[in-house]
Amino acid sequence: MTAIDTAIRAAAADIELIGVTKAYDAKTVVIPQLDVALRPGEFTVVLGPSGCGKSTLLQMIAGLERVSGGKILIGGREVQNLEPKHRGCAMVFQNYALYPHMTVAENMAYSLKVAGVSKAERAERVATVAKMLGLADFLARKPGQLSGGQRQRVAIGRAIIREPGVLLFDEPLSNLDAQLRHDMRVELADLHRRIGATSVFVTHDQVEAMTLADRILILNKGHIEQFDTPKAIYHHPASIFVAKFIGSPPMNILAVTGDGSALRLADGQVVANFAGKGSFQLGIRPEDITVKAGGPIKAQIRYREDLGSHEILEADIAGQPLRIATPFGAEIDPTSTLSLSFSQARLHLFDNGTSRAISNAFDQTKSAPASVKEYQ
Amino acid sequence: MVENARSINIAASILLIIGIVYIVGPLYLTLSTASQSYEYMLRNGLAWVPGGELFANMGKVINDTRIPIQMLNSMIVAFSNALATCALSFLSAYAIVYFRIRWAGVVFALILATIMLPLDIRVITTYQVASNIFSPLNAVLDVTGLNDLIANAFGAPVHLELSVLNTHFGLIAPLVAHGTGTFLFRQFFLTLPKDLFKAARMDGAGPIRFLFDILLPLARTSVASLFVLTFLSGWTQYLWPLVGASTPDMQTAVVGLARLVPDADGQVPDFPMIMAGAVLVSLVPLSMIALLQRFLVQGLVLSEK
Ligand SMILES: Nc1ncnc2c1ncn2[C@@H]1O[C@H](COP(=O)(O)OP(=O)(O)O)[C@@H](O)[C@H]1O
Ligand SMILES: [Mg+2]
Repeated sequence: MTAIDTAIRAAAADIELIGVTKAYDAKTVVIPQLDVALRPGEFTVVLGPSGCGKSTLLQMIAGLERVSGGKILIGGREVQNLEPKHRGCAMVFQNYALYPHMTVAENMAYSLKVAGVSKAERAERVATVAKMLGLADFLARKPGQLSGGQRQRVAIGRAIIREPGVLLFDEPLSNLDAQLRHDMRVELADLHRRIGATSVFVTHDQVEAMTLADRILILNKGHIEQFDTPKAIYHHPASIFVAKFIGSPPMNILAVTGDGSALRLADGQVVANFAGKGSFQLGIRPEDITVKAGGPIKAQIRYREDLGSHEILEADIAGQPLRIATPFGAEIDPTSTLSLSFSQARLHLFDNGTSRAISNAFDQTKSAPASVKEYQ
Repeated sequence: MVENARSINIAASILLIIGIVYIVGPLYLTLSTASQSYEYMLRNGLAWVPGGELFANMGKVINDTRIPIQMLNSMIVAFSNALATCALSFLSAYAIVYFRIRWAGVVFALILATIMLPLDIRVITTYQVASNIFSPLNAVLDVTGLNDLIANAFGAPVHLELSVLNTHFGLIAPLVAHGTGTFLFRQFFLTLPKDLFKAARMDGAGPIRFLFDILLPLARTSVASLFVLTFLSGWTQYLWPLVGASTPDMQTAVVGLARLVPDADGQVPDFPMIMAGAVLVSLVPLSMIALLQRFLVQGLVLSEK
């Protein structure tokens, strides 16, 4: 670690939400009930579609919105009735929200000025943060004279200058172009490693979630679908919602029926061995399907999309759409019926009613091991 | 340019010249008349050529009339009007935009209604209120029957009386009650990034600090243009100062100018002196326009949006 690394370092605080609810009015209940605990220094990404209550959640932690019920604990201290400045949080906004009439240095130092920090110390802290974020040459400029990436860096600098225990980000990268977004992701990850503040990062972009998060909290209509590591969320989605939300292209979901020995599609094709009976939703990722001669599952090809590194095939199976990702160079006859095999170890089964995952559905003890081979 | 045809150009130029003559003509006549003597005017009628008596006429205005004190009144009225309007509009727009107020929409609509009911229409009721600013309260007490109760209990109904007619306050207050400024600032605040207020709160700045550290510096050109516009409108007000002030020492300069024309028939008014007074009275707004032209243009653009 260099001297800069140690100069800005937060005392990370844990965050606990207990029975938190939020309703803007009787008709708009945004968060019906939320219980979640974030560890100190953890980088949590809150992921969910637009309008699911991510910003509301973040602003309740920050103190910009009141909770309608429940408790928020930061570092073990109940804060739900405190003003934002007493909570030890700092926030980075989507539209930067920099003060247009202040220079970069003034923007970053404003919170210190309000807090009554001396001019000399302010200048020192600004210099440290500016060096850390590569803004040293822009301190005298106004936000209007900066590029989008630089502005976002100023916004981050403004947030970290007070060394907050909690850093909150509300879709901070969504106004940047693809290349810059990637660069900023790398920088943010690096910054988090160096500063160590507990971070809550709101986004609707799954790539940001997968690359930045220690744990991802997937929010849907104000309730938690799943809260786990990126790996676990990708490989063991807890619900159809999560399965469809993570992965690009998203997981295929097929309606299947169990007849006691196998899962069948509507047209009678067997896709897996399964001991149970009833209607289910079967999930399989496009990359877990292979096209090969003699494959037991048949589908009609509709459309193919060559992405260079791989190809996406859009097919039709028993009246349902199916996406298949094939490796580059795979020989596929676009006119004929596709012969497919589903990777049996990577099937996901979901309850038809609750849409929740059925764990260990394809446990070796439940289905005959010999026949599993048959469908690969 | 949409069209470049020669004939259209010529027509446009002629139209422009007519317009200029229409506007500049009377101004020229004012100046040329102001620079001639009373005797010259009696002999020749309208003064089409300038003379050398301008300063003599102005001296007459300053020494023989109440115009100087009336200009001071105008200054007090216009300046206070501008200052109070800016402060009040700024604060009410701040409240409407940045705070979750119950019935904020209704309040804003009521403020806007003042734009549709200018002082000129309300002049009689305004006069009634100004002659006793407690009259609305008295009326409420009478209508609700509270006064009967009070009369029973204390022997006499409440009847408060305070007139602000013929005071500076009475001249200014009705002019301030106008929603244009609130509307202007509201529109301006809505163009600012929404998260600015939240960012400031996160930085530890309360509503007052946000107002002074962030909103006011950002809005300073809007404030300046509203100030210039309301100052000019306050300076040139005619109807309300005419009604609201009765003694010459309390009247404003524009009203004073009109009063320079003698009421008695038969006597030819001293038009050169009156015109010199008009020039004198116009100097303040003119120099203001010249100096603060930038804000005036911005204000017009803003209020047009
Ligand atoms: N100030 C507010 N008043 C009323 N409803 C609001 C307010 N802010 C957000 N909402 C509503 O709450 C829901 C969640 O909003 P938000 O938290 O901004 O979602 P997200 O950030 O996930 O897109 C939305 O349906 C939105 O319309
Ligand atoms: Mg949001």
